[in-house]
Amino acid sequence: MTSLPPGLIMILAAALLPFIPHVWRQIYMIGAIVASAYGLTIGAGTHFVWSVLGYELILYKADHLSLPFAIIFHIAAALNVIYSWHDRNWQQHCASLSYAGAAIAALHAGDFVSLFVWWETTAVTSVFLILASNTERARSAAMRYLVFQVTSGVILLAGAAILASSTGNIEFTRMQLDSLASWLIFIAFGIKAAFPFLNGWLQDAYPEATATGTVALSAFTTKLAIYALARSFPGTELLIWIGAAMTALPVFFAVIENDLRRVLAFSLNNQLGFMVVAVGVGSELAINGAAAHAFVHILYKALLFMSMGAVLHQVGTVKASELGGLYRKMPFTMVCCIIGAMSISAFPLFSGFVAKSLTMSALGDTGMMWAYFVLLFASAGVLEHSGIKIPYFAFFAHDSKHETGEAPVGMRVAMGIAAFLCVTIGVFPSLLYDILPYAVDYHPYDAAHVSSQMQLLIFAMLAFVVLIRLRLYPPEIPSVVLNSDWFYRRLFPAIGSPFLRAVMLVWGSFLCQTRGYITAFQHILDRVMHSPIAGPTVSGRAVLIQGGLLSLLLLLLYVAA
Amino acid sequence: MSDQSKQQTALQRLGAKFTKTLLLISAVLFVGDFFIHRHGYSALEESFMFPAVFGFLAFLFIVQVGKWLRFAIMRKEDYYDD
Repeated sequence: MTSLPPGLIMILAAALLPFIPHVWRQIYMIGAIVASAYGLTIGAGTHFVWSVLGYELILYKADHLSLPFAIIFHIAAALNVIYSWHDRNWQQHCASLSYAGAAIAALHAGDFVSLFVWWETTAVTSVFLILASNTERARSAAMRYLVFQVTSGVILLAGAAILASSTGNIEFTRMQLDSLASWLIFIAFGIKAAFPFLNGWLQDAYPEATATGTVALSAFTTKLAIYALARSFPGTELLIWIGAAMTALPVFFAVIENDLRRVLAFSLNNQLGFMVVAVGVGSELAINGAAAHAFVHILYKALLFMSMGAVLHQVGTVKASELGGLYRKMPFTMVCCIIGAMSISAFPLFSGFVAKSLTMSALGDTGMMWAYFVLLFASAGVLEHSGIKIPYFAFFAHDSKHETGEAPVGMRVAMGIAAFLCVTIGVFPSLLYDILPYAVDYHPYDAAHVSSQMQLLIFAMLAFVVLIRLRLYPPEIPSVVLNSDWFYRRLFPAIGSPFLRAVMLVWGSFLCQTRGYITAFQHILDRVMHSPIAGPTVSGRAVLIQGGLLSLLLLLLYVAA
Repeated sequence: MSDQSKQQTALQRLGAKFTKTLLLISAVLFVGDFFIHRHGYSALEESFMFPAVFGFLAFLFIVQVGKWLRFAIMRKEDYYDD
């Protein structure tokens, strides 16, 4: 049985958006997402294959691993449509619908070439969500973002090409890190998964997108990379090291970052670390953990980005140093934000708890205690920046005197749905466990587990209270925090520009010299043209040169004959 | 009393309530730890009130390192604008 790949229908539908009036456009987009989601009901198997140049391009292949990602990608796409209900311009809707469509299509790619096509499509569609901010700062961040995303795609293509020429098999499946091709593919995935030092684009670009754009961005690209890693490199021990570093390092940056959406971007990086560790462990429980974490993470991270987007939409800034005391003016947003914060901090009865428990248990089973304790430490870090800092500085702290009200209805409805899902999954984990890649026999709610987690969180919160009461908590300062993007935004230009200047100097003098020779040659030509020894004058230099070349050719042919 | 200081007092009262709730929950957790056997992956993890101590210290450590990091990697807001 053949069927169109899910997601493709959303990309095709996006082409018509400019011609549909507002509000109908939103309903139409929901319709496209539902139609695409309906395509999932066909079930596991290979449903669409296209033979090109001797290769089988598998455009629609579904299995137990792609399913949870496909479901949550559709939910995220729909939430995004609702969240941006008030936006009358078609441009951003077009970008986010086709972006979501490309990410969903990528989940169902069965070979590296079709994966590459969708991989790049997510890059070129999503960049418009950053450009839509329409500021100079956003424009340059968007260009840096695009360079990274496209580079990732090019490296993926290089890996696929080497794979095709060496093995003739481009199937998107499990591989070992033992060849140039697999390393290239690994690095391509690593750029989009924001590995340490390859992560600059994330914290650089996401907070520059529009209030609605960041919500869409936060869902797809990075989780697509997690999915790709889970498909190709499960059980690669290197990933445990990389993932552990990803969970721990952004924690320190998030403490001092002033832009709350950038704090969330650091937090996103830290969450990806948990998923990367789970993929690195690679057991059935761990892969379930990675998929479950990705699923709930998309919901609560979108919820947090939505609440900050609502603040940005209403107040015009998300800088912690300029916010505070909004709990009375935006009570609904505040409640949603706190539900998101408790979910990401993994409080029992919230979605983060039931997902993170899987990863922690799988990691504990491996006996790698150092990694286990790093992740435990990072859990306290999550509480610090996403659990406390975000709601505290936006809605409480001190009164910032902003006169404002609640966000538009669409924004509130989307936040309400996401918050409802966060709690529902937390209370009824079997809803999530039933769609995970492997059959689950896991019970997160036992007294021991719950009390351990509550101790960790409550006493970490006490530490926060102590610091605030003693006035030892660092105040928010208007500033930028240097991240790995500093290397290519400041260090490389500082070293590179004197070098480039020297190269340009040499090149310039070379051009000057050659120009002298060319002018001399032209003078000779002119003289021949204007005062021929015999016959008519020639009408132009080009004709003369052509004549000369033809004569030369004739001469050469004579010699050859 | 002006609106301003009213709002400030309301925030303080909210903070005090929050602190009291936290202390109450921590007391319950403290008592609970005498009765619940927490199974961990190492002996250290199973020791009395380990997650609580770990969480408390980790939090202080993160904030302190953050403060030090400010000297190294914090720049003015217009650092990249030129």
